[in-house]
Amino acid sequence: MRGRYSKPFGQAALAAALAAAVWGGEAPASRPARAKEALGLPYVYTKWEHFTKKDGLPNEHIFAVKVDGPRVWVGTEDGLACYDKRTGKFRVWKEKDGLPWRVVSAIDVDPKTGDVWLGMFGGGLARFSAGRFDHYHQLNSGLVNDVVYGVAVEHDNVWAATTAGASRYDTVRDKWTIFTEKNAPMEEIWNYGVCYNDGLVYLGIWGSGVLEYNVATGRWKDYVDPDGEMEIDLYRDDGIVHVITTGVSYVDKILWVTTYFGACRYDGRHWRGYYQHECGLPSDFNNFVKGRSANEAWFCTDKGLGVLADFPTDTWVKYVTDGDRHDGYAFVQRGTNVVAKVHTGFNLSHNYVLCVDFDGDDAWIGTSEGLCRAIGEGITPGCVRRVKKRTQAAPE
Amino acid sequence: MLQRGIAWGLAAAGALAAGTAARAAMTASGKEPIYLGVRACAACHRGPEMGHQFSLWRLSAHARAYAALAKPEAKRIALLSGVPEEPQKSRLCLGCHATAADTEEWERDDGFRIQDGLQCEACHGPGSEYATAKVMRDPKLAMANGLRMPEKDDCMMCHRTKGSHEATLKKKPFDLEKAWRMIAHPIPRKKKPGSEKAKSEPKSAKFQFVGVMACAKCHQGPMGKYCFSRWRAGPHAQAYAVLAAPKAREIAAQQGLAGDPQRIGKCLECHTTGYGYPESAFKKSFDRREGVQCEACHGPGSGYAYKAVMEDPLAAKEGGLRKPTEQTCLRCHEGAHGMAFDVKEAWRKLTAPLDAASAGVEPEPKYKTPLNMCFTPDGRELWVACEASRSVVIVDPRARRKLAEIEVGGQPTDVCFDPAGKRAFVSNRLDDTVSVVDVASRKVVATIQVGDEPHGVLVDRQGKYLYVLDTSIDRISVFDLKTLKEVKRLAASRNPWSLAISPDGKRIFVSNALSRFVKFRTPAMSEITVVDTERAVVTDRFVAPAANLLQGIAWHPSGRYAVFTLNRTKNLVPMTRLLQGWTITNGIGIVWADGRIDQVLLDWPNICFPDPADVTITPDGKYALVTSSGSDRVAVVDLNKLIEMLEKATPYERERVFPNHLGLPTEFVKTFLPTGKSPQGIACDPQGNFAFTANSRDDTLTVIDLRKMKSAGTVDLGGPKEISRIRYGEQLFHSAEITFHREFSCHTCHPDGHIDGMTYDIEPDGIGMSPVDNRTLRGIYDTAPFKWEGTNPTLSRQCGPRLAVFFTRIQPFTPTELSALDYYIAAIPRPPNRYRKLGAPLTPAQRRGKAMFERIYTNDGRLIPKEKRCTTCHPPPLYTDGRRHDVGTKGRLDREGRFDAPHLNNIYDSAPYLHDGRAPTLEEIWTIYNPYDQHGITNDMTKDQLNDLIEYLKTL
Repeated sequence: MRGRYSKPFGQAALAAALAAAVWGGEAPASRPARAKEALGLPYVYTKWEHFTKKDGLPNEHIFAVKVDGPRVWVGTEDGLACYDKRTGKFRVWKEKDGLPWRVVSAIDVDPKTGDVWLGMFGGGLARFSAGRFDHYHQLNSGLVNDVVYGVAVEHDNVWAATTAGASRYDTVRDKWTIFTEKNAPMEEIWNYGVCYNDGLVYLGIWGSGVLEYNVATGRWKDYVDPDGEMEIDLYRDDGIVHVITTGVSYVDKILWVTTYFGACRYDGRHWRGYYQHECGLPSDFNNFVKGRSANEAWFCTDKGLGVLADFPTDTWVKYVTDGDRHDGYAFVQRGTNVVAKVHTGFNLSHNYVLCVDFDGDDAWIGTSEGLCRAIGEGITPGCVRRVKKRTQAAPE
Repeated sequence: MLQRGIAWGLAAAGALAAGTAARAAMTASGKEPIYLGVRACAACHRGPEMGHQFSLWRLSAHARAYAALAKPEAKRIALLSGVPEEPQKSRLCLGCHATAADTEEWERDDGFRIQDGLQCEACHGPGSEYATAKVMRDPKLAMANGLRMPEKDDCMMCHRTKGSHEATLKKKPFDLEKAWRMIAHPIPRKKKPGSEKAKSEPKSAKFQFVGVMACAKCHQGPMGKYCFSRWRAGPHAQAYAVLAAPKAREIAAQQGLAGDPQRIGKCLECHTTGYGYPESAFKKSFDRREGVQCEACHGPGSGYAYKAVMEDPLAAKEGGLRKPTEQTCLRCHEGAHGMAFDVKEAWRKLTAPLDAASAGVEPEPKYKTPLNMCFTPDGRELWVACEASRSVVIVDPRARRKLAEIEVGGQPTDVCFDPAGKRAFVSNRLDDTVSVVDVASRKVVATIQVGDEPHGVLVDRQGKYLYVLDTSIDRISVFDLKTLKEVKRLAASRNPWSLAISPDGKRIFVSNALSRFVKFRTPAMSEITVVDTERAVVTDRFVAPAANLLQGIAWHPSGRYAVFTLNRTKNLVPMTRLLQGWTITNGIGIVWADGRIDQVLLDWPNICFPDPADVTITPDGKYALVTSSGSDRVAVVDLNKLIEMLEKATPYERERVFPNHLGLPTEFVKTFLPTGKSPQGIACDPQGNFAFTANSRDDTLTVIDLRKMKSAGTVDLGGPKEISRIRYGEQLFHSAEITFHREFSCHTCHPDGHIDGMTYDIEPDGIGMSPVDNRTLRGIYDTAPFKWEGTNPTLSRQCGPRLAVFFTRIQPFTPTELSALDYYIAAIPRPPNRYRKLGAPLTPAQRRGKAMFERIYTNDGRLIPKEKRCTTCHPPPLYTDGRRHDVGTKGRLDREGRFDAPHLNNIYDSAPYLHDGRAPTLEEIWTIYNPYDQHGITNDMTKDQLNDLIEYLKTL
């Protein structure tokens, strides 16, 4: 399937295509534009590439993806794959090739050493260094548990989010530290996600919200839902939307959080909650989130990919696919208002999206039926005025 | 009141386990007892009513135990225990010669003094919770509060037979029964009437008495010429205590003095310090019970006992410092008790220097032990890292003479230069440092902290990064040469050893001495780690199957390949196969630029090439020169012939035939050249005229004329010419002369006296029974019995007949050789613990782990039987009880289930673990191989508790 682009669009044609799609295409032409449209439109990915077992993937259930320069590491249900962008080929490691465990559920790369750290669902943690797997599990190391959902490299430490707490491995001093309810404000110990950036480690915990660990001070801070475990938000934007947290991402001093009951953004002072019924989030059931900037984050849900493309204007792009027909759409949305529906052709490999990572203008997305790459060309963050004939068309 | 007849006394013994167990019991109850020191006990346990218990202790060897560590004999013992530091700074020595030496500061009360040696609490446990009259009146309550009553057997934790002590002190074996009687300190059944307090005419003084401990602040240790310890071990320090002896009472009676001599003024005048002065003349720090202290002769010290004052003689005199004379001595000693007193002899003894010669201890010469070398970039100088002398010797290669010697750090191992030749970098393996030397001034200008046991060092071509191989933690440290800061640590394989940079400067190949961990009873897999110099990351890991001890490595000038030294140890076949000439084979490997690896041997059928240590390639690329430290030779390999042979061969031949072919070397080895003893490093000059070998066991360099391919003389590095017993043993250890066909030396399986990480089948059955993990020799002398099954009571037996029967298969060492070998093995230095320095506070995890190590209750409150507690079989300070135990590890190949309890010192660097090396990590000892709690009760531990326990174990 490699090279099976959804549409033969180049970037130069994108604006025209988008304009046609919005104002001259599927959108009614007679409706007047609203004031919001003066804000401009976000970038919509219309060029997609798809990868399946036929292209060399060991398995199409993609749990993790990590871009590492010219390589893209892919964790699947049955093996590790590495896509070489220069050759367009996959290299695969399965258990028979030395991979310590078949299910690779998380990947991070140590920027200093180039070592690849793998979280394995039931198999612990592995360092993949220049072709050698070093296996760390709960029986041969200080790792707290072998069910690893997330992994993050922080300086010389590697953090693992496991089903029985978080583990921190000091790779220089060969020392393990376990964080559970005993030494962290962790009401539940089922750690789902972990990320590191800018001196802070965030743990997304299933049932315990988000924990922030300050690397410099060694202090913890917890973020839980002020509404308790209720599945509705009594007072909106008063905190994290729910304690059953699945993903965390911290970028440009902004924390992005996903839960099974919505998602949210935190700027250190204010929370902002997002729900399917009031924004472009395809579903409240979120598997993962990756922030691209303070204003942009990609939400992986069970019903498609939601991209908050411009936080200030609450502009979203929702990608959904009809995988059976190899077709798909992008819905540009401000709040509940769909301002554009763009026919992208085959975009996501599947609407059940599990992971995403950015690669310059591109993004790699792992789904339950394969890996896909959203190819961006000359993208501009946020919303820009892309089409002059703005008043000629109206959104749906 | 104490119940009479109960032997409450301080049954002093080295029962440190008693102390730890006591603390464990208290900790379990939520209390954290601390050590108070002997003076707290002495507040009650003194005087005739208490049987003069304090004075009895003060007269015992236990009270002098710390001071004894200042003696030259102690240094000798330390040497034979592999202790590189001062005995009074060694955790191992202090473990039996002091109390609570290994505790944290908060665990010791302000009044506690380590200088008091083995005190009451060493055996009776830390006293803070029980050492009050109220508690001590109720024995049950006292016990509940941590008071321990040791058993006789507890003494053996310290008084067990120790090779180092036996060899040095030559004392009779420890007689436990006799010792137990000697230290008995019962409380008299009948209370003796108290004597009246001593009275005297009050004296007056301008200054106050400060007590001996104030003087000890400066006058102790090597800098203080051990003055305090010498005093403490002498009769003056016991002067007050001796008044408690029956003899003292007898003497007093003869002089018509009735009562307790410790309360008779006339006795106290000469048996204490400052007698007769009013209470106001004594500072709080002063303790009369210390006997005749410094101030008895030098005058009360409050005016001079300060460093700043003492540095100015006039000021000190003004402050009251008196200079004693013979007359000072005579005031008390002249005619005392009718005994003759030779004041001159006493004076001489008092002031004689404390040196090894005067104590009859043979001082050890300071050898050089050159290991590795590097030419300056201009080729004008050859710098030689000398392990034993803590120095780098600079040699003029043309004149073949020593130019200079620069002191660096402990155990210098390798040296390299930056591309400009302005700075040299020397790895100091013992200190975990690299010395930065300014080449022009030949001065150490900086010392940088690196990872554990740095070995190879190398600077890239751009002079951007310094690479340091942290041998014992399997890392490659990368330093920015501008800032000398470590920027990253890369993962090597096991025991990274040497580095070589490719001719284009783009790649560094790193040899790793130990094999990766492999499955139980499967062949070794060793690694060449490849570093990309542009990004300073590991990009490849090439595997040499069935090879181990990859050490020296050098690139061919063509850049097509590099050559490295290797062993091919057939540890899976019985060692009895040695007679078939094929147990440990030695050779070189060719690692091609694309990662393929060829292996060939340098052994000939009847004479092997043991311990290939280093390799260099001539600048014209024609020859590789390989040192054999076990046979004192250099093999000259014709590379053209070797490469041609390999290129003509089939893949099958290259992979399956050549690596084990003993007949091949005749085709590509041009010649063997003799060298000095145990050549290690080898280097060619940049012009390709001469090569030099570092002969580690005779402190010379052998010069090889590369045009004639002949040995062309030696360079003397200036080491001592005499061969001490230890040095002789060292030479034997590194020589393969003792083995059949000279296949291997002791050093082969115990490189650097440590481990090769292999499991061997050394039993004579020849069918693979009882495979055993190779154990370290560091600090082994005091851990008898030997062998995993504990069947060899002495090292001599282990290295003598047994070695000949099972390993070497020819005549055993002679008694002289054996004795020397034992001495050397005993003296192999054990590196200081990297996880905790003596006296350093424990980390929270280590502290919790210590509680787990010492615990006596399970998590659910069940009492752990004594035989299932960690400290029972692994008591400090050696952390072995020297006995065999069945910990449930008997495997299908084992004929015996009880194994010697290994010591735990520096346990972190001797993986794999258990008797057959089945556990690559400490965790697995308990997570996998202790399913039924036979190896201690551990299955109730949570994961974080086990982690904590391991963190603590690493500090031992």
